[in-house]
Amino acid sequence: MIDARTSIPPSRQAFLPRDGLGRLFTALQADGREVIGPTVRDGAIVYEPLDDATALPYGVAARSEPGRYRLETGDPERAFDYGVGLTPWKRVTFPPVVPLTTTVDDEPGLVQAVVPHRRAVALIGVRACELAAIATQDRVLRAGPAGDVDHAARQSGTLVVAVECAAALSTCFCTSMGTGPEVEDGADIVLSEVDGGFTVRARTPDGERVVDGLSLPAAGDEPVAQATAQVAAVRAAIGDPLPTDGLADRLRANPDHPRWAEVAERCLACTNCTLVCPTCFCTSVTVASDLDGVAASTERTWDSCFTLGFGRIAGDANFRPKVADRYRQWLTHKFSTWWDQFGSSGCVGCGRCITWCPVGIDVREELLAIAGPTEPVGPIPWPIAPADGHAPAPLATVAPARYATVHVSAVRRETADTITLRLATADTGLLASRPGQFVMVAQAAQTVPPISISRIRPDGLELTVRNVGPATAALTSLGPGARLSVRGPFGRPWPVESAQGGDVVIVGGGIGLAPLRPVIDAIMRERHRYRALYVYLGARTPRDRLFVDEVQAIAGRTDLEVAEIVDRAGPEWFGRVGVVTQLLDQATWTGERTTAFICGPDRMMQATARAIAARGVAVDRTWVTLERNMACGVGLCGHCQLGPYFVCRDGPVFSLAELGDTFTVEGR
Amino acid sequence: MPAPAQRPVRTSPTRPRIGVVKLASCDGCQLTLLDLEDELLAIAERVDIVEFAEATSNRSSGPFDILFVEGSVSTPEQADEIIKLRAATTTLVTIGACATSGGIQALRNWTDHDAVRSMVYPDPSYVESLATATPVADHVSVDLELRGCPISPDQLRELVTAVLVGRRPMLPDEAVCAECKRRGIVCVAVADGLTCLGPVTRTGCGALCPAYGRGCYGCFGPRESANAPGLAGWLVQDRPPAEVARSFALFNAWSPAFRAVIDASGGPPGPIDRATIPETSDA
Repeated sequence: MIDARTSIPPSRQAFLPRDGLGRLFTALQADGREVIGPTVRDGAIVYEPLDDATALPYGVAARSEPGRYRLETGDPERAFDYGVGLTPWKRVTFPPVVPLTTTVDDEPGLVQAVVPHRRAVALIGVRACELAAIATQDRVLRAGPAGDVDHAARQSGTLVVAVECAAALSTCFCTSMGTGPEVEDGADIVLSEVDGGFTVRARTPDGERVVDGLSLPAAGDEPVAQATAQVAAVRAAIGDPLPTDGLADRLRANPDHPRWAEVAERCLACTNCTLVCPTCFCTSVTVASDLDGVAASTERTWDSCFTLGFGRIAGDANFRPKVADRYRQWLTHKFSTWWDQFGSSGCVGCGRCITWCPVGIDVREELLAIAGPTEPVGPIPWPIAPADGHAPAPLATVAPARYATVHVSAVRRETADTITLRLATADTGLLASRPGQFVMVAQAAQTVPPISISRIRPDGLELTVRNVGPATAALTSLGPGARLSVRGPFGRPWPVESAQGGDVVIVGGGIGLAPLRPVIDAIMRERHRYRALYVYLGARTPRDRLFVDEVQAIAGRTDLEVAEIVDRAGPEWFGRVGVVTQLLDQATWTGERTTAFICGPDRMMQATARAIAARGVAVDRTWVTLERNMACGVGLCGHCQLGPYFVCRDGPVFSLAELGDTFTVEGR
Repeated sequence: MPAPAQRPVRTSPTRPRIGVVKLASCDGCQLTLLDLEDELLAIAERVDIVEFAEATSNRSSGPFDILFVEGSVSTPEQADEIIKLRAATTTLVTIGACATSGGIQALRNWTDHDAVRSMVYPDPSYVESLATATPVADHVSVDLELRGCPISPDQLRELVTAVLVGRRPMLPDEAVCAECKRRGIVCVAVADGLTCLGPVTRTGCGALCPAYGRGCYGCFGPRESANAPGLAGWLVQDRPPAEVARSFALFNAWSPAFRAVIDASGGPPGPIDRATIPETSDA
């Protein structure tokens, strides 16, 4: 444990007398900053804008237990003896509601991103665990391929004054998570509250500028020693309530532990734990409009993986219907898969989720029961880490908040509920799209669905859209000349080139043929680079088949094989009736040098994957594309999490080797 | 089981015919419509309000593109009427706790109906009511519901806008807690030890009661995945079981999730002992 004080000699530490705290506030305000710090409201410590130092919680201590929090009388001379407050600091750097888009005046139907504004603030009273949380969330929100511009603007305008803990709550476990109680990095200024005032350490040039302006005397040895002793006492009081050695692996090794079902009986899935968590970052998008749907706006609001709607996709399918699924997702993400995604734990040990759980569920207890030192470690059925070469494709042109305007140049009706929009654009980012990628398609007053690209043209894209809800209903009713606002392209493409020199099997079910069509296009353009090509297509009925004329055209060629089958048909259909795996059952090829690309409903893909494996195709050459709830496209909103992955960013194309049993087990 | 309905096709895509009717209810939810003062004229310009006894002398028995139904089914006459209304309606929207879960009057569902009638009326033979007050969805299929006692003007505005624009209305089914935390309200359950139904209640009120230091009364009824037994199991640790059951036995008592807690506590809550009602209560 590095003690920040040891790197700064006592002579470099200043002393701020208690009555000088007001001068610090004035200095921060003179710097043009709003000061946000702890104060008492409605029986709790909350972090709010403060006019001056008198609003700080002098003489207040706190007691917290699972599901219970009470303020108590403390030393009237001291202002920072309350542990951590209710409010996570993300309220400032990642607010509950942020405007995302508005419609464009005089450009009906088009939307534009709201330009984030930078606000200069100073946070006072930030604890060591909270500094770790700010850094952790910052890593998440700046992660590739494109960070959260609103957060970046807010974070860059923030000056942090940390106050080291001199009192612990029973719910604290920063010591176990390695984040505190000693303050090391992340603050501009570090205070320790001691008799008569504060020791002061400036840790950054910004912090130094503020401290120098106060013209403080040097701290003597005694206050510095007191500060050291205080924080050491806090460390001793907390102990090590959650041994974390091996915890991440054991947690992933126990997705079927009976305790998940047991805790789900107590868990209310009320979202409190995630909303007080200082690192949770999941959000949803809400739409508002005037009565005519002309002037419209979208906002991003805090959401939670505990809600039913979080895993819901168009057509009301849901990937995490049970509370046990949601609790496992939250805890496993926080303590295990966060490491894969962001190189750290997602938990900093602040204990808010324990205190503010209305039924007192203690994550430390649950973790010890599910993944304690005596629980088994392996084998881990969960995907362990993104496979080599799994990093998202270089997408330097993606700006997640930027919308390109595209023109509908043609509309082709495919089936009763499905159309293909031909979009013209000069946007270089969109024109660089690759097979398997998708775009987010915005229309005024509608939600913004992800739509797979069904053809990449020199002058634009094609999107094949099935009417499954209001937003896609509006898209399928567009005519030539309409304009749309589009973000993208997003996601990792099909690794088409990796199949060169070998055989290729393409299996599409229903609308699943749409994202495979660019794969066929790419192979046909360079047909000589690939050996045999087999295309197997399934549809509900003959009338639900997509791209009928194109399929017929390639079916006439001699250098590939096309087979079609439908679930049910009338007498007009002379082809085969059944499920798509029946086509595979009769194939004669074997799969040593074969790459398979599969897209369709989940169950169809699972059955196809089994049939493909039976023919000897390796799991790392069998590729599927997953449908999840995707709202941002760049791994920021959290909806599409699957084990260590964000489906939108790390997929939607995955090999079966990468997915492990998340591909077949419900609720993951 | 909801009666299968032959639904009329919407009369005009641009100018929907809207009706507002009531069954057994207090009219409070209908008043919320009239409280949309800033939008009322704009809405009236875009729709034809053909039936709304609280607001207009226009009367119609349909067809309705959108019909807002307030109140629970409490009499034989209402049970017949709702089936006729359903047949005349494209989009049927139930509004308020009475229509969506039976309302406060559904407390009688646990009692001896005849005994209650005799207690209240000197000559109960003139009172023709059903033994139960039940939600509209028990009788006919319902397309959309607005919860609450009363409904939220914001949610009503959103529903009308979404229907006019042609999108799915944003009517969150999450817990009141989510709204509390977004608003930065201190949790009255954890910090004050109050009984609060927020964790199992659907949002929509904007966390009104917790914002004023009161526990949630569950006006919007159960949220999705409402674990009411889980909350009750926590509350009974330091409260009498009857008190816990009673906190669920309000406007949405007959909703399946809350009913389960009431039934598990040994049946319906008994008569309220007035001495136990806190001074602060308006009761």
